[in-house]
Parts: sequence; structure tokens; C-alpha cells
Amino acid sequence: MSADARQTILNRLNAAAPRPLPPRPALAPLRECAMAAEPLLEAFILRLTEQGGVAHRVAERGALLETMARILAREKVTRAMAAADSVVAPLDLGAWGRQIGVEIVTPADFKDRGSYTRAVFDEVQAGITGADFAVAESGTLVLVHGARQARLISLAPVLHIAVVPVARIVPVYETAMAALYAGGRRPSQVTFITGPSMTADIQGTPFKGMHGPQKLVVLLLG
Amino acid sequence: MKVTTEQFKRTALAELDNARTQQFLQILPLRLSARRKIAYESFPDPVAAHAYGHAVRGEAVERLPELLQTFEKNALANGARVYWAEDSRAANDYIVNLARKKGVRYVTKGKSMITEELGLNEVLAQNGIIPWETDLGEFITQLLEKPPFHIVGPAINIPVEDIRDIFMAKGVLDAPTTDPVALGKAARRFLRDKFRDLDIGITGVNIAVAETGTLINVENEGNIRFNKSSPRTLVSVMSLEKVVPTMADALHMLRVLCRSATGQSAGAYLSFDSGPKKGDEVDGPEELHIVILDNGRSVMVRDAHTQEVLRCIRCGACLNACPVYGKVGGYPYGWAYSGPMGQVLTPALQGLADAGDLIRACTLCHRCKIICPAGIDHPSVLLHYRHKDVQADPVLQGRGVAPAERAAYRLYAHIGSRYAFWRIFAKAARWVANRHRRGEAIHKIAKGTEGWFSSRDLPVLPRDTFHDLWRKKRKRDKE
Repeated sequence: MSADARQTILNRLNAAAPRPLPPRPALAPLRECAMAAEPLLEAFILRLTEQGGVAHRVAERGALLETMARILAREKVTRAMAAADSVVAPLDLGAWGRQIGVEIVTPADFKDRGSYTRAVFDEVQAGITGADFAVAESGTLVLVHGARQARLISLAPVLHIAVVPVARIVPVYETAMAALYAGGRRPSQVTFITGPSMTADIQGTPFKGMHGPQKLVVLLLG
Repeated sequence: MKVTTEQFKRTALAELDNARTQQFLQILPLRLSARRKIAYESFPDPVAAHAYGHAVRGEAVERLPELLQTFEKNALANGARVYWAEDSRAANDYIVNLARKKGVRYVTKGKSMITEELGLNEVLAQNGIIPWETDLGEFITQLLEKPPFHIVGPAINIPVEDIRDIFMAKGVLDAPTTDPVALGKAARRFLRDKFRDLDIGITGVNIAVAETGTLINVENEGNIRFNKSSPRTLVSVMSLEKVVPTMADALHMLRVLCRSATGQSAGAYLSFDSGPKKGDEVDGPEELHIVILDNGRSVMVRDAHTQEVLRCIRCGACLNACPVYGKVGGYPYGWAYSGPMGQVLTPALQGLADAGDLIRACTLCHRCKIICPAGIDHPSVLLHYRHKDVQADPVLQGRGVAPAERAAYRLYAHIGSRYAFWRIFAKAARWVANRHRRGEAIHKIAKGTEGWFSSRDLPVLPRDTFHDLWRKKRKRDKE
């Protein structure tokens, strides 16, 4: 019975004689905290690249779509799934995809969870998402999952393309998390993505795309 | 998982003769240690960052009851269900009953040492539910029924030929290959089907955040994200010491954990879950079950040494630093936890009865203590266990010593603490030892000392001690 177990466990933990808490030493903020926008962006790209991601900088919407079209063509993507987040939704990728011959669907196109799941696992070759933040300290994308950011789009397809407005680059995790958990908000899931899926579990031989995407391409917009 | 800690010596001897094990041990720990060192340089003050981690974990284990209650309150508010399990049996029963209620034929699992500790796979299988490990290394060790060789690379020592054969036998591979990448891709395809049609996913927990009720997992492959995103029901099993006070504390520990484990500034995927999916989300679990496992840990807080062991964040840095692990690898430790981490944790959870060799397989070199990002003083804990063992401590099930050995040491202590006795004893001992000289060294003395001499020699002892020589010199000077 869990309630009894709970009480037993807590009683045992409380039975220990209290000891003083260890003091917290002064901790200098990470170097990124003192960086201006441009070095921050460069730091983000450097770290992301070190972890096997690829970054492209695009000035505006036209250049963004051009680069995306090139990547989709190179990776032979005929069907992709896009999130409905605040970065990707305004791009109206569905209509744009029809012009370049790539079918771009969103989770809303599926009647139920089962058909969405089959599509994201088996029918699309790329997932296209925005990102809520990009963190310079480790080249990390921060995605907040919810109604407009389904979890599997950035995970199940073999290629993940993320669009990040440069204004969303922040120095450290704390900046992003303070904003996301402010005022008692609790996103059901937040994911930090740093590079493609990786493993070195067989003989220490590293390779990408173990379970998640083999390629991560970040398009930095602005 | 069968505990084979009592066979430490036998397994260690076999591993010392295993060329493949020795080959990997010459590369893996050194490579991981070097990467860790470089990664720490990204902290403006690596020493302060290291010490700050000690303080966070030290505070967490001291404030456990309060933090666990705060965590529970917030997790419940997030919509999760919380089950407190006193032991493995309670945790396994809860998970099996849940799987039965949902009518599932299989579950998938993210890599977690805690479910190895529970022996969950065996219990699920006994109940007709197939557990699929989904971390590539764990998947291989599961198929081969082997314990993890290293916490970061559980199957890194397994020859590709063995992986090919077991993958062929289990239908993971269509055509034989020994290419590591092709083997990995085959596992990807095989497990992808499991993920797509998944009802229940089971993961461990790296960090639980009290102030937000959030569960954090760290990984590189993405299998844990699948386990947390694809099924309708998610079971997260956490041992009760995983909790930290705040999200800020968690972020610092994540930096320290990733750098210490693999030398990365961040693992490819860190995921933060606060409750199940919300109603308007298309994927994610509808139910999140958090199992808080005690399994002997709540007793550990009573003693300062064993309380310290609870600080461990399972990064594996101590394995890479340890000269003993570096020769024998992960198998001799005989359970889910190997290296110094296992040497301090296993006796606390399993008792000392079968851990006599385990707690003595240490040179007290202190490298684990120095590298530990959680501030555990492994050598002192091991000395504490050795003391408890000879004292026949009832809580830790120490084995005690034979009356003759106890009497011998009593006598030795008596002599050693009295100057005149000691001088006579030392003189006699030198005479006895030198009678066994072979050339310039002594290879054995009396029966019963073979153990000491099995790996060392004693140089021939001089007739006079320093004190003797000094006294003679003084006498000469006076004359």
C-alpha cells in the first residue's frame, strides 16, 4: 500500500539526526553571459557544429525558403511534417511545398493520434519545427512541447530542420528556463536538442541517427 | 538481474585474461577522462563548478524528506500519479499490475540502472510481458543476458561477431554483417516498430526537481524521448535520492553530469517532463506514473558515510579514474553499479555478506574522490565498510572475523602501543624475516602470509634500525 510505504519511508528519512547543509561556493556566470549578440550567435553555431549539427544563416523569409528547398531536394524529401508553432506556422509551408513538389503536412491533417503516429514514423522523411530558444553555451535548441509543438516531429523523421529567429538566441539555459517556467507555468515537456541522435555503443564506433534524426539542420533567421 | 558480487575475484581473474576486455580498458576510460577534462574548461572556474555540484548534492541528501514531499506535491499538481515503493517487489508489482490492466504484450524501456536494480525485466517476462531495452548498448546486453560493462557503454566491449550472431538469432538482422553502423541501423529498424505501436514506456530519472515537480532525463540516442513521447502511459522510476531543490540546481547538475559522463557540454537530448500531456496535445503520455523507490536507501541517511553515497549522480567518472576498474572492467562488480560507484552503493543496498572482496578491491588512491562531481569520499566509505565488516555490523550484515585473527590483532595492538615491547618485537621480526631471504629479497615468511606476498616482495631487512644506528653514532661521538 503506497500511503503506508510513503509514511514509512518519510519517517525513516526524518529519523536521521540533522547535519549542517554544505555551503555553496561562489559560482561565476558562464562566459556567454557577457557576450554581445553576434559573438553569442557565433558561439551557438560553433557548439552546434561540434555536436554534429549543421547551421545556415538566412537573412529573410525568401532566403530561408530557398535554403530549405535546397536541403529538402538534396535529402530527397517528398513528404515532410511541420509543427504548428509560432515560427513555422506563419511560413505557410503547406502552400509553399506544393510549389516545389514536396507535400508538407501538419498534425492537424490527421483524424486521430494513430494516423498521425503512423505518418510521423513511416510516411515523412523530414520534420520541420521552430524553436523557442537557442542556447549559446552548448549549441542547444529548446523546444517547448504543446498543442503547437508535437513531440515526435523533431524526433521520428530522419531529418530535422529547425528554424530559429536569431533574436531567440540566449546565452545560458537559465535565461530560457526562467521564461518558460515563469509564473508557475509548467510545460508538459521541454526538450533540449544538441545535435543529431548519436551512439557509440558498438565498439566505440560513433554514428548518427541511432533512434532519432540522423541530420539536424538549423536555419538561423535574421 | 542476478547479483554475482561474491564472485568478484573469480570474475576479475577471468577478465584479466580476456584480451578484448584488456584492449577496451586501455582505450575507453582514458578517452572519457580526457574528454571530461577538456569539457570542464568551459566553466570559467572549473574548481568552483565542481565544488558547487558537491554542495547541491550534499544539500539534496540532507533535505530529502522535505524535498520529496515538495516534489510529490508539485508532480501531483502537474497531473502525474505518484507511487512510493518500499522495495523492488512493491515497485515491480505496481508496474506489472499496470501493464496487466492496460493489457499490453510488451513494454519498451529507456536505459536505467534503477530498473536493472529492480530486476524488472525478469519480473515482466515471468508475467508474460516482453520488456524491450531500447538503448543500443542495453539492447545488446539484454539479448546476450550480460551485465553492463560500463555505465556509459554497457556493451562497448562486446565483439561485433557476437552482436551479429545474436541479432541473427533474434531476427533483428536479415543478412549477416559485422559493420557496427549496419548493426546499429538494424537495431533502429527493429525497435522503431516497438516505439510506433507502444502502449507503455518505462524510463529511469536523472534528476527530479522539487520546486516544479519536473523529471529530467539525459541521453544521446533519442530512445528515452521515444519512450516518453510515443506511448499512452509513461512509467518513470526514480530512486528517492534523485531530487534536487530547484531548477537552477538541476541545470548546474546537468552541466556537470554531461561533462563528467561523456565529456559533452550537453547530451544530444535532455528532456524535462512536468506531468502527462495536456488535453490539446497530439502526442505524449495520457498518464504519467512516477514510482519513487526506496529499496534500502532511507536507512542510509542515518549514517554520515552511507548518506554521502546517496549523492551519486551515476555519471561514471569514477570508473574511468579507477586503477582497479581500469584492469578488471565492469563485470566483477556483479550488479548494475560498477567501479567505485558500485563499491560504495552495492554494500549499502545488498549488505556486506557477499561484498568482502568488493570493498577490498581498492588501493585507496583517492582518484575517484577527486573526480567525483557529487563530492563522495569513496575511500573513506570503503574503510568504513571494512570496519563494519570486521565488527560484524548487524545493519550492514558485516561478516566479522575469526577469533584467532581478532586475538592476534589485539596482541599486535598491545605490543605496538608499548615502546619496549615494540622494540623487542621488531628485532625478533627482522630476524625471522631475514631467515627467509633469497638473494636480496624475501618472497615468503610463515604460513598464512602467502596472500600478502602474492603480489609483493619484502627487501632484506637491515640488521640495525635507524634508532640503533643513531644510538651508536651518539656513543661514538661521545667517545
